[in-house]
Amino acid sequence: MLALSRKKKEAIVINNNIEITILEVKGDQVKIGIDAPKEVSIYRKEVYLQIQEANSEAVSAEGMDALKDLMG
Amino acid sequence: MKINTRLFGEVEISDDKIIIFENGIIGFPDMKKFALIHDEDAGKGAGIRYMQSLDEANFAMPVMDPLIVKPDYDPEVDDELLAGLGHVTEDNLLVLVTVSVPGDLTRMSVNLRGPLVINVETHKACQMIIDSSDLPVKFPIYEILQSGKAGV
Repeated sequence: MLALSRKKKEAIVINNNIEITILEVKGDQVKIGIDAPKEVSIYRKEVYLQIQEANSEAVSAEGMDALKDLMG
Repeated sequence: MKINTRLFGEVEISDDKIIIFENGIIGFPDMKKFALIHDEDAGKGAGIRYMQSLDEANFAMPVMDPLIVKPDYDPEVDDELLAGLGHVTEDNLLVLVTVSVPGDLTRMSVNLRGPLVINVETHKACQMIIDSSDLPVKFPIYEILQSGKAGV
């Protein structure tokens, strides 16, 4: 992992078309601004992981037979 | 085309039924081609269908209309995020949520935070993450389905 130190209002540029700016630093919270092309998906990682887990759970569908009995 | 599926064996899918998730499913970026399959037996009453991968026989997600379990479901979505699906209108937009069906059915849930959004005209689709912590990733539905069983 590349680690860079930045101050408030400083930015980094990724791949000519993505710019990430440090907007605000308050205690242990950092507000960042991201300028990126609209086709670039940006997610909070913990939410991304939750959705990924929910997708995996959906695919396993262990209780499908039991559900058929219940609803049939 | 004929495709193999774990749940339904060999199934014939006509080209106009193919749904393309250009960015894949979240956590599964290689899963791009899907078809919606109805199972006459499965989850009657619950209105469950399957989003079956055409790339991988074992990958199928039970999905349902979120309005069955959450009638006021109306997530706010940035139009720019839908731009990749072609021209989206109220009439060509299909929103489905994935259903988790664990062995213990009382823990059944739908993911209201990461709906599948499909343009039924262009057949392009994506899974979105709604930026609202009010919408749970695991919204319990067992009791809702039980109470509405007779009416659905």
